[in-house]
Amino acid sequence: MISIDRSKIIDKNFIEFLSNEKLPKSKIDSLYISEDIPKDDLIGIFESQVLSRHIDLSARKYKEKGICHYTISSSGHEGNAVFGNIFPLSDMAFLHYRSGAFFLERSKKLPGSTPIFDTALSLVASKDDPISSGRHKVFGSKELNIPPQTSTIASHLPKAVGFAFSIDRGRDLKLKENVVNNDSVVLCSFGDAGINHATALSGINTASYISYMGGNVPIIFMCEDNGLGISVPTPDFWIEHNYQNKKNLKYIQSDGRNLLEMIVKVKEAEAYCRKKRSPVFFHMKTVRLMGHAGSDIETVYRSKNEIEKSEFDDPLLHSARIIIEKQLLSKDDILKLYEVNRKKVDCVFELASFRPKLKSKEEIMSSILPNKNDRTLPNTPSDQTRKTLFNKDFDRLELKHSMSKLLNYCLVDILAQYPNTVIFGEDVSRKGGVYGVTAGLVKKFGYKRVFDSPLDETSIIGFGIGFGMNGYVPIIEIQFLAYFHNAEDQLRGEASTLSFFSNRKFSNPMIIRVPGLAYQKGFGGHFHNDNSLSIFKDIPGIIVAVPSNGEDAVKMMRTAVKEAFLNQRIIIFIEPIALYNQKDLYEKKDNLWTKSYPKINENITVGEFGLFGSGNELTIISYGNGFYLSMKAKRKIEEKIHKKIKIIDLRWLTDINYSKLIKEIEQSKKILIVDECRKSGCFGESIFNNISSSINGIIKLHAAEDSFITIGDSSTYTLPSVKSIAEEGLALINA
Amino acid sequence: MHKKRVIVVAPGRASYIRDSSNYLKNSSEKKFINLINDINKKRDINKEINILDLDRSSFRTKLHMIGKNAGPLTYACSLSDYFCIDKDRYEIVAILGNSMGWYSALAMSGSISFINGNDLIHNMSTLMDENTIGGQIIYPIVDDNWYFDESVYNDLIKKIQTESVYISILLGGYIVIGGNVDALKNLMLKLKPKGDYPFQIPYHSAFHTPLLNEITYLAKDKNNIEIFDKPKIPIIDGMGKIWTNFSTNINKLYDYTFGYQIVNPYDYTKAITVAIKEFAPDKIILLGPGNSLGAPTAQILIKENWLEMDSKESFQAIQDEKNYIISMSRRDQRLQVCK
Repeated sequence: MISIDRSKIIDKNFIEFLSNEKLPKSKIDSLYISEDIPKDDLIGIFESQVLSRHIDLSARKYKEKGICHYTISSSGHEGNAVFGNIFPLSDMAFLHYRSGAFFLERSKKLPGSTPIFDTALSLVASKDDPISSGRHKVFGSKELNIPPQTSTIASHLPKAVGFAFSIDRGRDLKLKENVVNNDSVVLCSFGDAGINHATALSGINTASYISYMGGNVPIIFMCEDNGLGISVPTPDFWIEHNYQNKKNLKYIQSDGRNLLEMIVKVKEAEAYCRKKRSPVFFHMKTVRLMGHAGSDIETVYRSKNEIEKSEFDDPLLHSARIIIEKQLLSKDDILKLYEVNRKKVDCVFELASFRPKLKSKEEIMSSILPNKNDRTLPNTPSDQTRKTLFNKDFDRLELKHSMSKLLNYCLVDILAQYPNTVIFGEDVSRKGGVYGVTAGLVKKFGYKRVFDSPLDETSIIGFGIGFGMNGYVPIIEIQFLAYFHNAEDQLRGEASTLSFFSNRKFSNPMIIRVPGLAYQKGFGGHFHNDNSLSIFKDIPGIIVAVPSNGEDAVKMMRTAVKEAFLNQRIIIFIEPIALYNQKDLYEKKDNLWTKSYPKINENITVGEFGLFGSGNELTIISYGNGFYLSMKAKRKIEEKIHKKIKIIDLRWLTDINYSKLIKEIEQSKKILIVDECRKSGCFGESIFNNISSSINGIIKLHAAEDSFITIGDSSTYTLPSVKSIAEEGLALINA
Repeated sequence: MHKKRVIVVAPGRASYIRDSSNYLKNSSEKKFINLINDINKKRDINKEINILDLDRSSFRTKLHMIGKNAGPLTYACSLSDYFCIDKDRYEIVAILGNSMGWYSALAMSGSISFINGNDLIHNMSTLMDENTIGGQIIYPIVDDNWYFDESVYNDLIKKIQTESVYISILLGGYIVIGGNVDALKNLMLKLKPKGDYPFQIPYHSAFHTPLLNEITYLAKDKNNIEIFDKPKIPIIDGMGKIWTNFSTNINKLYDYTFGYQIVNPYDYTKAITVAIKEFAPDKIILLGPGNSLGAPTAQILIKENWLEMDSKESFQAIQDEKNYIISMSRRDQRLQVCK
C-alpha cells in the first residue's frame, strides 16, 4: 500500500538518501565541470531551494491544523531559483504558483526582505501579508517587481508580453513614467499544461509575431515542464516539438533539476533576451512532487513506480549531489542546513499563524479601487500646437459634427496633452478604425503611439494591462462588443483584480474603447450589433461609460483619461456604432444630433447624468441608443398627453449617483427605464432594483428581448423602438 | 531539552556609560579571561590602558569615550555577556549589532576570531580618533507613547536635506544624523527640543555617511581579508541582509564591512525586523554594556505589532510577563540567561 501523503516521504527521503549517499546520478554534470560558477552562489541557490521545500512542508503541516489555506507547492520546481539569482530586481517577473524558490532567491537582492515570513502570512491569509493583505495566496512584491498572479490558467502571459513590449516603446518615446530600466526584460513562468490555454497561446503567438515584424519583445517564457497537468500527462516531447522551431522564438532547454546546467542555460537566455530584445522560450524540464495540491491524491492516477521515480529525481537531491561533488559542503553540512532551515521555517509559520486576519467586508473591499497617483495633470496643448495638429480642421472645430468625428478630434487633443497615452487595436492605425474614430492619428503622432495589433482581443487587453502597469495610459480598441467576449477574462480575471489582490500596490489603468450595441440599420448581424453589456455589470471597480452623442462622448472621454491618469481606473468606453454618424433627431437633415467640439477644458464627471425636459407625469431613464430613441418618443408622448415629460441620459452605467438620481425622479408619477440591452442581466435591471425601494412612482423596465440580433430588416424587431417606447410610456401614464 | 531560540544583539560604541563601571568585575569565565589577557598584552605594547583598568576606573568622558578605549572596552563587555549565555538552554539563531556592534557580531558569529575582533575594532576606532570627521546627533521620531510620528519624521528628513547632513543610523524610534560639525549645530538649532534631544554624541564622527569615504581605503589597508571566514551562526547586517553560515561570500562580507556600511546609513530597524520575522526567535538578547538598544528595539516591535505589542503600555505588559527582550546589562535579566 503506497502512502497517500507523499510530502512526509519526500522529506524523509532527502535525509535518508543523503545520509546513505544514495543520490540520483546525472549524465550532464560533466558538461559543466569547467564552467566558472561562483561557489557561494551555488550554495545560496541551494539554500533557497531548501527553504522553499520547507515552506511547502510547513504549508501542509499547518493545513492539517486548519491554519494554512493553500497547498499547491513549489516542490520539484526549485530549479527556478536560478532565475531568481541571475536576473536583477529591475526585471519584472510574472510568476505562477510554483515559484517559491525564485521568490526566496530574488529576495536576497533586496536586503531587508522577509520572504519566509511574508510567504507564511500569505499562506495563512493574514492581512499583514504585504502583497495581497490576506486576499489570496500569491507570490508577489512591489519592491521585488513581482506583481501577484492569482490565475491558475496562464492568463498572465498576454500582459507579461504587453509589459515587455512597453519597455522599449517607453525608451523610444522617452517616457519618464516607465517603471523599469530601459534594458529590462520580463520573466513569465507557467507550466507545461497551462501552455495549452488560449491565453498562453495568445501571449506566445503575439510575442513571436511582433518579433517577426521587427518589434522588440524582451521576454523569457519560463515553461516549467513537470510532465503533468493535474492528472493528465503531457505527451512526450509535446513542448519541444511545438516550440523549438517557432519563428522568432529562441528555444532553450535545460534540466531544471540540475543547477549547473540551469545556471549556464539561464545565463544564455538572459544574455540573448537582454541584448536581442527578442522572446525566449525557456523549457525547464523538471518533476512534480507532492501531487498537484494537498487535496490531490496522486496515487489514483499514477503508479507507485512513477511516483517514486519522480521522488528520486528530486531537484534537492540533485543539488545536494552537485554540492558534495564540488566539495562545497559536506553531507553533514547539508543535513545541518536542511534541519536548521526546517526549524526556522516552522517557527516562522507558528508566529505567522497568530497574525491578524481580514475581519470585515470593508477591509476586504478597501483595495478594489486603485490608489490615486501623485501625478500632476499635464497642461492642455497650446493653441499653436493644436493649430498645427488639427491643421485645416482647426477652423472646423466649432462646426457641427457627428460623434465619430468629435471623438477623433478629442483623441488628437488627448494624445497631445498626455505623452504617456498610446492607442492600439485592430485597424486603428493606417485605416483609422472601422468607423474612422482614430483616422489620421498615426500621421500626427507616429506609429509608436498609434499602432495596429494582431487580430487577437486577448492580447490587445493583455497589452493594455502591461502598458498600464508600466506607467502608460493605454487607450485600446476592441473592434466590436461581441469580440470582447473572446478576451473577457483579461478584464474580469486579470486587469480588474490587480489592485484588489495587490492591496493597491499595483495598478493597470486603461481605457478600453468598444464600438458596440445594435441598431445598425440591418447591417452586420449579431456579431456587429451585440447588445449585451452584462459582462461589465458585476466587475467591481471598473467604470462603464456609454455616451449618446458626440458632445458627451468628448467630455466623457476626457474624464475617462483623467481617471486613468490620476486615479489608475479602468474605463470601458462603449461607443454606440449606430450613433457614430447619426446627424438627425426628428427629421432628415435636421442635424439636431450633431454638436460642436466642446471647449478643451469641458468635461462630464463620472456619474453625472443629463436631464432633458420637465414635468412629473413620466420620466424616462436611458442611455446610448435608448436615450436617442427616447428623445424621439418624448415628442410623441408629449403630443398625446399635452404635458411635458423628463428624460435622463445616464451616460455612466457604473458609479451612478443614486441619491442625486432619486432626488431628480422622486416627484415623478411614472418611471420608464429604457435599456437597449437584453432584459436578463441588463444595467436597467440593476437600476430598477436600486431605485424601486426609494420612490413612490410606478417603475417599469422596457428592455430588449432575450434574443440575438438578426441581419436585415428584422434586426431591430427584438429591440426597444421609438414606437415601443412611446407605447410603453403612454401605457404607464394611463395605468 | 528544548532550547529557546534567541537573537543576540551587540551594541555600538557609545554604549559604555558612567553606570557601566566595573561591568567586567564578575566575568570569570576562563575563555574570556584568557582573551582579555591577550587583548591587554597588545594594549600594553601600544601603551594603552588595560581594559580591566579602564573598566575599574571611575568614568571620565575623555578617557572612556575616545575610540581606542571605548571600542575595545565596549567589545569586551559585550563579549563577556556573550560568553555568559547558557548555550545549553539558548540556541543563538542569528546575531546582529548596531553600528560598531556589527564588528562584534562578526566575531561572535565566528566570521573572525575573538582576538581579531578586538584588533578590528581597535583599528577602526583608532582610525576614527586620528581622522575625526564631523559628528553625530540623535533625535526621536516617536512620541512619548513610542508611536511613530510621521510629521516629525518628514520634517526631520526635510531639514536633513536642507542642512546637507545625512542619516547615519535608523535606530527604531530615533534617527542618528551624521554630518560636519557646523551643519549639525545648525540642525540642532532648528529641531524642536524634546527632553535631552537633540543630543550630540561625544567623540563620535559622522559614521555611516559619505563623509567617511576616505576611511574605507584606510580601513581596507589596516584590515586583512585573511582574517575573515564564513560565520558559524547567521549574521544580519545594517541593510537587513542575512549572511548565512553556508553561503556567505567572504569577499563580499569584507567589502561590505569596510566599504558600504562605513559610508551608508546603518539600518538597525531593518536588521531587527529581519531578525524577528525570518528567525522567529523566542527572545532577543541585548548584550551590554548599557541598555541603549532597549527602547529602540521595543519601538521596532511596537511598529511591527509584534506579539501584539502595539503600544508602549502593551509592550511593557508583555515584556513583564514574557521577558521577550533580555537586557544583559540589567542584573535581573542577565541572570535569566547566564550559565
